[in-house]
Amino acid sequence: MDPLTGLQVGFSVILTPANLYYCFLGSLIGTLVGVLPGLGPLGALALLLPVTFTLTPVAGMAMLASIFYGAMYGGSTTSVLVNIPGEAASVVTCLDGHQMAKQGRAGAALGIAAMGSFVAGTLSLVALTFFAPAISAVAIRFGPPENFGLMVLGIVCTLFMITGSALKGVLMIALGFLAAAVGIDVVNGRERFTFGSLELSAGVDLLALVIGLFGVTEILLNVESMARNSVIAERVRGLWPTLADWRASWKPILRGSGLGFLLGIVPGGGPVTASFMSYAMERRIAREPQRFGKGAIEGVAGPESANNSAVAGSMIPLLSLGIPSNPVTALLLGALVIQGIQPGPLFISQRPDLFWGVVAAMYVGNVFLLLLNMPLIGLWVQLLRVPYRVLFPIVLLLAVVGTYSANKNVFDLWVMLGFGVAGYALRKLEYDLAPFVLAFVLAPLLEQSLRQSLVMSPDGAIIFAKRPVTALLLVASAVLIAFMFRRQSRAQGGTK
Amino acid sequence: MVERALNVFWILLGAGAAVHAWQIGLVGSAGPESGLFPMIAGLIIAGTGLTLLLRTSTAARVPGWPRGAALGRVAGVVAGLAVMAIGVSYLGFAVASAITMLVLLRTIERTNWVGSLALAFGSVAVVMWLFGQVLGMPLPRGPWGW
Repeated sequence: MDPLTGLQVGFSVILTPANLYYCFLGSLIGTLVGVLPGLGPLGALALLLPVTFTLTPVAGMAMLASIFYGAMYGGSTTSVLVNIPGEAASVVTCLDGHQMAKQGRAGAALGIAAMGSFVAGTLSLVALTFFAPAISAVAIRFGPPENFGLMVLGIVCTLFMITGSALKGVLMIALGFLAAAVGIDVVNGRERFTFGSLELSAGVDLLALVIGLFGVTEILLNVESMARNSVIAERVRGLWPTLADWRASWKPILRGSGLGFLLGIVPGGGPVTASFMSYAMERRIAREPQRFGKGAIEGVAGPESANNSAVAGSMIPLLSLGIPSNPVTALLLGALVIQGIQPGPLFISQRPDLFWGVVAAMYVGNVFLLLLNMPLIGLWVQLLRVPYRVLFPIVLLLAVVGTYSANKNVFDLWVMLGFGVAGYALRKLEYDLAPFVLAFVLAPLLEQSLRQSLVMSPDGAIIFAKRPVTALLLVASAVLIAFMFRRQSRAQGGTK
Repeated sequence: MVERALNVFWILLGAGAAVHAWQIGLVGSAGPESGLFPMIAGLIIAGTGLTLLLRTSTAARVPGWPRGAALGRVAGVVAGLAVMAIGVSYLGFAVASAITMLVLLRTIERTNWVGSLALAFGSVAVVMWLFGQVLGMPLPRGPWGW
C-alpha cells in the first residue's frame, strides 16, 4: 500500500464520531497535562492506559498519541505564564517565553508556540507518512540476529538521554532486564525469581511499575516541595503573531521541525533533547545571541517546534520497527502489546488500518490542538490557578484506580507503591528512571531474539559476527558506549 | 552513606540474581535456557554496583532528603497509599479512598474540615462516576455493596 492510499484508509478509519471523540479527548487531556505542572505526559499516559482497554485499538492509540503531543502543546503555556515548565520538553521555553510575558508579549509567545507546534507537527507527520513504511519495508527482511542488534543499539542510545552518570544508566537498564525476567518463562514454563509467590509468577505488571515510577514518584516529589505558583495575571492578548514575529520565527520553526524529527527517530532522543538542541542551535546561529534569555521569539519558536516534531519522529521506530525511542513510546508499545498487537516490522503490513489510523489521528489531533490552544488560552490560564492540593488527591486516586483496574489485583497496588518509593529515592540519588522502563519493555523481545539467534546458530554467539547487519549494529553500539564513557570521564576531568 | 549502602545492595542483588539464574540453568541441549538472560543482567548489576562503590565521582552531590514538614508530607502520602492498598479489599474503593483523602488533606495539606470533606468526597465521587459508570471499570466494593 502506497502512503497516499494508506492515508486515505487512515482517514476513513479515524473520521468516525467515536474515534474523533477519543482523539479530541486525548488532545484535551494532553493539553491539560501539559498546562498543569506536576504530572508529565508519561504519568498521564500511565494513569489513563487502563481506560484504553475498553476501547478499540485505533481509538485507544489515537487517544494516547493525542495525549503525548497535546502535552507538548500545553507545556508552553505554563512555561510562558508561570516560568515553570508544564513538562520537561518545555523547560527552555521558560527562558525567553516568560521574559516575553514580562514584557507584555505573552500572547505573541503563546501564539508562535502554538503556530510553530502546528507547522512542525504537520511537517513531521508528512515525513512520518513516507518514512515509516519505507523503514518497515527494509526491516521486514530482518531475522532474530538483526532484531537483537537493533534492540541493543536502541537500548545503548537511551544512555545518551541520561543527564547524570552513564554507569547508573547501565545499572538501571540491567535492573529493567531483571525485573522483566520475573515470572514464568513463556518458552518453557519455568519460574524465574518468583520464590513460590503466585502473584509474582504473573510477572511485574507494566502498568503498576510505570504508574509507581512516574505517577507516585512525581506526587512524592511535588508534595515534598509544594511550590505555590504565581501566574502572570493580566489577560493574554494578541495571540496572532505579527508580521515581524513571523519574519523572525519562520526559519527557527523550519529548523526546529527538521531537528526535532531527526532527534525523535534516534533512540534516546525525543522531545526533551530536541527542544534543548534547538534552543542551543538558534542561539549559536543568531546574529545577536545576547538577545536570548531576554525575550527572543526565536527562543520560543525553535524549541516548541522541535519538541512537537520529535513526537512524530519518535513514532517511526515504534511503528516501523517495534522499538520505543523514549519512555512515552515504550508505554505506547506496552499499550499495543496489552491490546494483543505485536509491533514490529510486520505491523504496518498486518494492521494497516491501525497504523494509518494512528497517523491520520495525529493529523486530526494537530488541528484539534491548534483550536484548543489558540481560542481557549484563557481557560488554560484559569486552570493554572488551581492549587496542587486540589490536584494531588485526584491524581492519587487515578493512580490507584489505574493500577487496580488492569488486573483487579490488590498486589499491584503494593507493586505501584514499592516502585513509587524506590523511584523517589533513586531520583534523589540522581538515577534516571527512563532507561529502566525502556529496558523493561524491550527485555522480552531482546531475550527472545537472543535465544532464537543462539538456537539457529551451530557456532553459538559467532552468528552475531557472521551477519553483516548485526555485526554493524553491535559495533556501532560498542563505539557509542566507548564514546559516552570517554565523554563522561572528560567532563569529570574538567570539573576537577 | 546512603549511596554506599545502595551500591552494596546492588552488588548483593546482582550476585544473588546471578546465582539464582545459574541454578535455573544457562544452556541446555535445546540451546539457551531460562537463566541465561537474567544471569547477564545480574552480572551487569553486580559489576556496575562494584564500580559505583569504588568510583566516588559518580555519587550524587548532596541528595536533598526531605526534613521536617516536607518529610511528614512524603511519609503521609506513602502511608495513605499503603492504607488504601490494605483498606480497599475490606472497605471497598469508595470508603477506603474517601478516608485516605480526608486524612491526607487534613494532616498534610492542613485544609479546613469543610474543604477537606468537599474535596475528598467530591474527588472520590468524580473518579467513581468516571471509571465505574462512564468507562465501566469494576472498582472494588465494600461489604455495603459500594
